Amino acid sequence: MIWSAIKAMADLERIRYKPVTIRELLVEIKNLSELMIDLAYSAALFDSRELAKDVLDLEKHVDTLAYLLNMNLMIAARDAEDAEALLGAFTVASSANKISDAAADIATIVLQDIGIHPIIREAFEIVEEHLSRIEVKPNSPLIGKTLGDLKLASKIGVDVIAIRRGNEWLINPEDEEKVKANDILIARGSKAGLEALKMMGLKE
Amino acid sequence: MAEKKFKRILKDLVNLKDTSELMLNLAYSALLLNSKELADEVLKLEEYVDKLHTEFELAVLSSGFKPEESKNFLGLIRIGVVTEEIADAAAEIAETVLRGLKPHPVLKMVIEEADETVSIARVSDKSPLKGKTLREAKIPDKSGMWVLVIKRGEKWIRPRPDVMIKAGDILIASGYSEGEEDFERLASGEAPDEDKSFRE
Repeated sequence: MIWSAIKAMADLERIRYKPVTIRELLVEIKNLSELMIDLAYSAALFDSRELAKDVLDLEKHVDTLAYLLNMNLMIAARDAEDAEALLGAFTVASSANKISDAAADIATIVLQDIGIHPIIREAFEIVEEHLSRIEVKPNSPLIGKTLGDLKLASKIGVDVIAIRRGNEWLINPEDEEKVKANDILIARGSKAGLEALKMMGLKE
Repeated sequence: MAEKKFKRILKDLVNLKDTSELMLNLAYSALLLNSKELADEVLKLEEYVDKLHTEFELAVLSSGFKPEESKNFLGLIRIGVVTEEIADAAAEIAETVLRGLKPHPVLKMVIEEADETVSIARVSDKSPLKGKTLREAKIPDKSGMWVLVIKRGEKWIRPRPDVMIKAGDILIASGYSEGEEDFERLASGEAPDEDKSFRE
């Protein structure tokens, strides 16, 4: 136990200052924190250790971004007025960081094999937002199309939040990303839309 | 009896998850619109979540689970804690608005860049939404925006699919910025879609 704690400490790298704009860092932290919540609930829903591990990796990444943001904020504040103006940005980043920690807590529940009570799945059924895991079978009409081409958000109200390709996870895939055979898509959206996407994935 | 307790736990959990995420949306909206009213609502919801969370934990602990089920129930408790953490984070964001911290232009850019915009519209007497439930109104299909919260008089209503929209309701919606005009048109009842297609 103690040994693993020491080892964990040794794993933390020194974070060196990099000049990145505050805006870029904040956008990334906010988006990642929200995505992580969805991914973490998905990990619980599908009892997926891989997805849970990914959430933990993202959490470390968000921590690094938060350090960088804080360094950049300190440099940006030249006087009391600046400091006041930037305090809002600091608070939002720190809240988003807490949200990413909360997501990591869900992931930990999955990784520690603490049970996922069936109620949790049922709760997802009731909440309007649904998450689904869609397999892309060979010969599915989805194959070879980019997410941008498919326009899933505007056509069927579904958003692909992650793609699993072999052992690799693509988190928050870009519009240019092409769907490949045997991809596993993690998608969020209306029940009807997810059903429709599932059918497209299955079609052979 | 056991069945009844199970239902209660489920209802509380759904409520916790729903409310905490609603709070986050509202908190970012409050920031974007620099609205103390919205921010204040987030803080009220935070109190509500705290109360609900305690009730949820009590319901779980008193559900009379068997020792071999304890891991499953621990999972439930932990998920409850997470929803509470999210609610706290949302409240912190809302507090910056209430403290009158001038929203730094960078924050506005950040929220808008996250491909979302927030729009407020009052439902007029001639609006096609009037008298429809949210499910029937299909606002996301028609505008690409979804309703975050409904304000009716002094009351805030959560946008459940079976909530009926009334004239005078104020809808706060978020979504892709291109949908904003369509959303406003739906609420006002001005220039219906037919006219638009004529113009095009």
